[in-house]
Amino acid sequence: MRLTLRAQVVLVALVLAVIPLVGYVHVKQIERLLREGQEQALLATARAIATALHDRPQLLELRAGEPASGEMALILRSLARAESRIWIVDRDQRLLALVGDLKKRSASEEPPDLLTRLVHPVAALVLDRPTEDFDDSLPESEIASGPVAASALQGVPARRWRQSPDSRAVILSASHPVWAGDEVVAAVVAEETTNATRSAYNRAMEQVIGLTLIAFVAGALALLLFASRISTRLVRLRDEAEAAIDSQGRVKNLLAGSAARDEIGDLSRSFSTVLGRLGEYNRYLEAMASRLSHELRTPIAVVRSSLENLRLQLLPAEAGVYLGRANDGLKRLDTILTRMSEATRLESLVREHPRERFDARDVVRGAALAHPGKKFEIDVPAAPVWLRGAPELYAQMLDKLVANAVDFAYDGKDAGSEPIRIRLEPRGADAVLTVSNRGPRLPQAMAGKLFESMVSVRARDSGPEPHLGLGLYIVRLIAEFHGGTAQALDREDGSGVVIKVKCPLDSVLST
Amino acid sequence: MARTVAIVEDDAAIRANYADILKKHGYQVSAYGDRKSAAAGFRTRLPDLALLDIGLGDEPDGGFTLCRELRAMSAALPIIFLTARDSDFDLVSGLRMGADDYLTKDASMPQLLARISALFRRADLLRDPPAAEEVLERGLLRLDMKRFHASWRDAPVDLTLTEFWLVHSLARHPGHVKDRDSLMRDAHIVVDDSTITSHVKRIRRKFQAVDGAFNAIDSVYGLGYRWNA
Repeated sequence: MRLTLRAQVVLVALVLAVIPLVGYVHVKQIERLLREGQEQALLATARAIATALHDRPQLLELRAGEPASGEMALILRSLARAESRIWIVDRDQRLLALVGDLKKRSASEEPPDLLTRLVHPVAALVLDRPTEDFDDSLPESEIASGPVAASALQGVPARRWRQSPDSRAVILSASHPVWAGDEVVAAVVAEETTNATRSAYNRAMEQVIGLTLIAFVAGALALLLFASRISTRLVRLRDEAEAAIDSQGRVKNLLAGSAARDEIGDLSRSFSTVLGRLGEYNRYLEAMASRLSHELRTPIAVVRSSLENLRLQLLPAEAGVYLGRANDGLKRLDTILTRMSEATRLESLVREHPRERFDARDVVRGAALAHPGKKFEIDVPAAPVWLRGAPELYAQMLDKLVANAVDFAYDGKDAGSEPIRIRLEPRGADAVLTVSNRGPRLPQAMAGKLFESMVSVRARDSGPEPHLGLGLYIVRLIAEFHGGTAQALDREDGSGVVIKVKCPLDSVLST
Repeated sequence: MARTVAIVEDDAAIRANYADILKKHGYQVSAYGDRKSAAAGFRTRLPDLALLDIGLGDEPDGGFTLCRELRAMSAALPIIFLTARDSDFDLVSGLRMGADDYLTKDASMPQLLARISALFRRADLLRDPPAAEEVLERGLLRLDMKRFHASWRDAPVDLTLTEFWLVHSLARHPGHVKDRDSLMRDAHIVVDDSTITSHVKRIRRKFQAVDGAFNAIDSVYGLGYRWNA
């Protein structure tokens, strides 16, 4: 599976998920502290009331069921906390007084800030929102047999968390005994919902969720952007590097070499250098023929002029034989030189040769004329095949193709019997010229290199003609001049070789 | 009196060999190995014909300079470049300097001698006009076979010796296709197909400079060229 750089970075970004976790733990800690604080405060309230009542035992002698007297209510109200409920039971578990309300009276809440509002929908999924809409009745059982009151009547202050009867809120109750001398005369129970802490907790949680989400998203986005940038640059570098070398291994254009001062910039620059060197090497190889022919010309001229001088001397009869052989050798050298310079000359010729519109059929029809001893099968379409280029060069290319086909047809067993097939046909927007001969197949190892300079697939001793592997190179040069490509293939049945030259048709309509 | 041929060539072996052959063919030869001595020699005495190499010692374009100097001294002096350089660029530059022909060093001695004698013949005729003219006329084309001078619609076309021979070879039998080999034989050259192609291209251009509608030379693809009467 291909794991892109971007995907990898997204995986790495998951590390950032630790931030919300840390925030969560922290908020939990705060909630615990808040609850403890609330318990202590409630207990303190209960104790304060109990102390106040201890000083005024007469207040406890009220009959159960009657509302608390003015003084009692005053004490309770002055000591009670907001949103808390306080009740007092006597030893017989009769409710002596009940003051306060668990529900929040004023609904004035601070308007939530932008962050909270944004996070709200997300937070709602995980947070338990406190509600003021719960059953705040004081169940009988709580008074009679509630463990908090019971514990206080035993003389031990207690606290307890319980659910509201409808389970919509959590209620914290704390109790304290009221002493009269050595005995407990009553118990004070203070109650409060956890809604306040819950709200604080929620707010903190929302903040944490919001902030960490922002941090996470921002971090991940930054990483992703960074990764995208790197991967874009790498992809571009790859595309450029691929585009720089064509299918025949030639360096077409050099990489610009990025100016970026990082590793990718380095990579791009070294690619550029490597391609530059490769290009130089290729040019060196291609210029080899030219340089060789140039360098060889002078020593050959020395040999030739020496032989010509020799011929003017009075020589013994047998010297003529050697003179003849030397001349033959010289002629072969000349042929080699001529072939080499033909390729070089063509390289410069195609650079500035003017292009004209011509009918390729005229060129193809003349192909057989240059090889009168050979059999040809020429197939041209009825309609003109217009190309833009140089008919002379196209003819030269065809000549090389035919010469190549003729040479290889010789290597076959019954080569003479089958004609060389030349076919020109328009195919789509291209004119496809194929020259096909019976003969040995193409060697696999050379596929794609046949059209390079000085590459030959012939056996070493293949006759008196020198073979430099420049013929198909010339074919390629001329095909490229016409905006086309050359390709060598085996015949489908393996009985020979097909060379295919595809050139774009001239799109201008003939008038 | 024997004619003097000057050879300016930096390779001692080639210089000596050419000098020997030319001497055997009855020419007087003055051979120079570098531009300075050649220029000094020319100032003392102008040769009747000059064979110049382009690269002379450490002067890659010494031959061009020499050619310009010679042309300045004499407008009629035949000059042939004989060099290892075969690029179109050098060829065109050489001819633009006023040389009469351009040969690469793979040219054989007979080819060189054919040029030398042809140029001498022309030089002679320029000095004293002949009684009888030998002229080939083909429609608008007129070839003066003695002076190696071509004209089209009575306007002179400035051809090199090689180009003149090529035009003559084609125009002698209008309508007949001349293949590259016979063209090379007639023009005393041995070159590759591309060189013939660029020669013909250059000839066409020279005629077109005189007459924009010139199209007397037909390409017969795969075979050669044909003069259209």
